[in-house]
Amino acid sequence: MAQRTPTPVPQQPQRVHRSGRVAAPAAPARKKAARKGPGLIKRFFFGLLRRLYFGTKTLSRIVLLVPILVFMVWVSYTVDRSGLFQGELAPRRIVDLMLQGYDVTNFESMDERQVVQLYAQDVPETPQVIGIGSSRVLQFTRELVGVDSFFNMGVTGADVRDNMTSYYKMVTYGKAPEVLIWSVDPWVFYGNEAAYDYRADAELYNEFLTKVLGVPTDYEEPDKVELWKALVEPAYFQGNVDYYVKNRGQDVVTDDDGNTIEFNPVTGDPYDQPTTIKRSDGSVLYDTAFRNQTQEQILALAAAASTTFNSVHMEGFDAMSDTQIQAFEAFIDYAHSQGTTVILVLSPWHPFLYNYLLNEPDMHKGFFQVEPWLRQYCAENNVPLYGSYDPECIPGIEEMDFFDGLHCKDTGIQKFFPGVPAVLEAIESNTLPAPLATTPRIGQPTGEETVTEDGTAPETGEETTGETAVSEAA
Amino acid sequence: MTITSLLYLGFFAAVALVHYVLPRVARPYFLLVANYAFYCYDPSNRPLALVLAGATLLTWVCGLVIGKSRSKVLRVVFLLLAIAGGVGILLYYKYWNLLADAIAGITRSNIPHLDLITPLGLSYFTFAALSYSIDVFKKRCKVEPNLLHYAMFVSFFPTMITGPIERYPHLRPQMKKPRRFSYTRCAGGLFRILWGYTKKMVIADNLNLYTSFVYGTPDTMNGPNLLAASVLFAIQLYMDFSGCCDIALGVARILGYDLIENFTSPFESTSFSEFWTRWHISMTGWFRDYIYFPLGGSRCCMPRRLMNVIIVFLVSGLWHGADWRYLMWGLACGVLCAFGRLTAGVRKVVWKYNPLYRATWCKNLIQRVFVFVLFVGTLVFFASALFNADPYGVYTGIFQGWQGGIGAAWNSVQTLLHDSGIDGRLPVVLTCASLIVFAVESKGRSVARWIRAQNFVLRWTLYYAAAAALLFFGAFGQSAFIYQQF
Repeated sequence: MAQRTPTPVPQQPQRVHRSGRVAAPAAPARKKAARKGPGLIKRFFFGLLRRLYFGTKTLSRIVLLVPILVFMVWVSYTVDRSGLFQGELAPRRIVDLMLQGYDVTNFESMDERQVVQLYAQDVPETPQVIGIGSSRVLQFTRELVGVDSFFNMGVTGADVRDNMTSYYKMVTYGKAPEVLIWSVDPWVFYGNEAAYDYRADAELYNEFLTKVLGVPTDYEEPDKVELWKALVEPAYFQGNVDYYVKNRGQDVVTDDDGNTIEFNPVTGDPYDQPTTIKRSDGSVLYDTAFRNQTQEQILALAAAASTTFNSVHMEGFDAMSDTQIQAFEAFIDYAHSQGTTVILVLSPWHPFLYNYLLNEPDMHKGFFQVEPWLRQYCAENNVPLYGSYDPECIPGIEEMDFFDGLHCKDTGIQKFFPGVPAVLEAIESNTLPAPLATTPRIGQPTGEETVTEDGTAPETGEETTGETAVSEAA
Repeated sequence: MTITSLLYLGFFAAVALVHYVLPRVARPYFLLVANYAFYCYDPSNRPLALVLAGATLLTWVCGLVIGKSRSKVLRVVFLLLAIAGGVGILLYYKYWNLLADAIAGITRSNIPHLDLITPLGLSYFTFAALSYSIDVFKKRCKVEPNLLHYAMFVSFFPTMITGPIERYPHLRPQMKKPRRFSYTRCAGGLFRILWGYTKKMVIADNLNLYTSFVYGTPDTMNGPNLLAASVLFAIQLYMDFSGCCDIALGVARILGYDLIENFTSPFESTSFSEFWTRWHISMTGWFRDYIYFPLGGSRCCMPRRLMNVIIVFLVSGLWHGADWRYLMWGLACGVLCAFGRLTAGVRKVVWKYNPLYRATWCKNLIQRVFVFVLFVGTLVFFASALFNADPYGVYTGIFQGWQGGIGAAWNSVQTLLHDSGIDGRLPVVLTCASLIVFAVESKGRSVARWIRAQNFVLRWTLYYAAAAALLFFGAFGQSAFIYQQF
């Protein structure tokens, strides 16, 4: 219904003067002065106070919702089914078991690099000694090193990037060890792509080179914001809740895709296992069959390895790379700057294999340059150096001290490495063995000691000593 | 920027904060900037912001001439210009290919199809702008001399995704005198947003798992599943669309604006015509005011009146998209509404003799169920258009596969629900959540007001319950809003 307009109030009729003599109109009644509002400054402060009051009130209510956010973040961070913050589930389980003191089964299926990185992250107390290197360092155990607080960070097929980043990881977590045992492999000084292992974390190495050594690379700082956004991502929270509910109290743990994680604590005697196991100190204990091979079997493996020697990261290794040498030196300096004592170790090759290499020195020019250079470097820089690539230089070492052509047993290691306490004592007392006192063979040996053309080992024969070989080469 | 993203919430929080820090007089201008920032966030929308600006400028200038001019001819010319501009943009971006096919069919010429990106919120902002021009012409609305105020109305970001389609006379006074910050409004708005998210992400998106599963391959589904999917799609659509409107209304409420309510308990309607006065109110109201009334509305003879109803629904169907299934959906709704009006008198007489109708609750229940069934029935066309299915195949499929009886049918639905991902505690959660939503929103109750009326403990328990439901059962990253594409 249309609203009726109110009837207008009738006004007094106004007299119209036509004579022209019009009396001056009465002065209009003065309007009441409008009530003055508060001044500009007063209004400004009033507005400010009002905003502050309501802002505080609103914030105080929003704070009441914060527990939801905290709970969400806590679940996402703790469960972390995709391993965004704490590493992937399988390596995490391995590291958890190792930190609890368990040896872990199924070594062959492990992503060793992730295990090492996670260990660096999760280990509550900094190990006094760590070992880095390839599988040739993995026989260094607590007992051999002579220190309880030891962790072997060696990984199978390690290249220079693996070596350096393992230590770098420890440093970034503020866990730089007192002593670093580095089993230096010859390909550390090879600057070709062939020296690199596809499993190594190239991104991390670039980070290390750029941030620590100041070497320019294509490294770019990762976008951490994107990563941390996952913490407040409801979908990730739901996934974590789902994963937690499914795996809670279960004997068999599954990964993000629902596959069973097959890494379990070793039960029974670790020395009597049908498969290779990862010890709680990071070292590796090969399966019983591999450990108990006969001399002939070991020799056969060494012979097989000798013909494919270069394929292990040394294809085309003709000369040491200047860049790699610089990186090596910078790394040692870096470790020293972190208060770490570096002990270099040269793990020997099987005598048969080494002799085979001596037979074709032109094929292994780079390899034969490494040890003399290292010895020179250690002598000049007072860096402890133990062992030698040339088994002849290690008194008492036998063919049975090897698993195969490449890997030396703990019994072999004991013959050249006295243990960390002894090394530290030698440093203290300035009685370190002179690196240049040992001279490895780098040329072709003479006589019947060489291997036969078909690659089989000689039946008998005296082996040349290092000194003999060097003098002959000279 | 999707409404369900944290980015949207962050953007909104920042806008709200700056909005209330600024003096009131500057707020509409800041909101205009925020609207365009929202519009241009997606790079694909940036060039299309010119379309939005163009439509705004054109309708504003036309409105100015219409409002200021005393020449009727000029007023009509400029009204037609505004309508041509608004409808032209709509036709070009939304219906070009359909028109091209139609014209090519008639003239037997070859008109090329265009691969056009539809501007964000096209249907919403063109309708808002058109309503202003028509309202100014009809003198239902004062002419707006301030272009920036008008631009803020057309591009208001909370309504840009799925509406509601605002009217200028409704928003103008709120813009001219922006509200002071009110904690109560803010709290109510926040709960409305939370409520909307819960409806959308907990109920609608989880139901979408099943409905999209069934409608994705309707040929392979049996009758029970097609029927269940159709019924659940009706609930999903309501939760999805009304959830988004809740978010939009909540956001606008916090910013100091009250928007048009788009839903008032539509499933409590007792007739199909009434249903359409409670569902998507801003759109049906628009069609009523700007199409139905100009056609003569109900002030004409019965056949024409019925025809007007059908025409309005046909246009509504076409508004949803250039697809014959939407058109069929509109036609079906129109025919049902027309039939309802035609038989209204007869039905009232018949009801007197229906013993079940003696109890009011029973009568309401039966009528509500009947209206829901009709809605579900027509919605098959709508769902088929969304999921690109054959609606006639779905209709025939619904009546097949019932050989095992109700028990077998239930088992079949249960199995498929489980296969589609609605397993574990989810069915219980969905049922309870839906019932709670329907109960709380019953009789058109305002959720925001209702929650403010509760005591502190119950209120915060509800906040936490809604947040927990969202966190634990919300389907994140599932889908965009269904009405976003319109």
